[in-house]
Amino acid sequence: MRVTVCFYSYFKDLVGCAQVTETLPDGGTLGDLFEKLVARFPKLAALQKSVLMAVGVDYQDRSYVLRSGDEVSLFPPLQGG
Amino acid sequence: MKRQLTITTEPIDEPALLAQRAMSSGMGAVVYFVGVVRGTEGTANIGALEYEAFQRMAEHQISLLLDGMAKRWPVESVRLVHRVGLVKVSEPSLWIEIVARHRGEAFAACQWLIDELKRVAPIWKKPVAGSS
Repeated sequence: MRVTVCFYSYFKDLVGCAQVTETLPDGGTLGDLFEKLVARFPKLAALQKSVLMAVGVDYQDRSYVLRSGDEVSLFPPLQGG
Repeated sequence: MKRQLTITTEPIDEPALLAQRAMSSGMGAVVYFVGVVRGTEGTANIGALEYEAFQRMAEHQISLLLDGMAKRWPVESVRLVHRVGLVKVSEPSLWIEIVARHRGEAFAACQWLIDELKRVAPIWKKPVAGSS
């Protein structure tokens, strides 16, 4: 299955782009996706503990099972307000 | 609870927002919070902050917060404006108005809303150096 991954804040600078697509086996989780992204963008490895992930507009944890066509977003800790 | 949520690149027009206040006769408290860009970020002097938002998700997450606020306190209305893009020092980046019957719930709801917004709204800021 294919998912879209969007990067926000300085994550865009780390990976060199705002959006990529990634393929995963059916049943793949957000955790599986993150591992693939770290292999593709090694600079993400250092941020494993602080990265926040969303699917659509909702936060999800690494056990979340993805579906084909999902839009995943990765970003650092928040600074609004 | 009436609600108005705006995420905008436009400067926050405080006089216009105040002029648009609407409250029923039973309400006796209005609490305002204005978040303003400071001239320092850490130990560095700055000229502005560049705010970035994942806007669709920020609107959704803040709407969920407003749902939560309505369940916790008897607030009549809330208006929230968060500015994104380049915001210069001393300019407001966040404006909140909460209308309630009494000051207790208005203050408590406002404090909670700000704290939760900082925790869940996907918004980030980058310092921009000031001009010499």
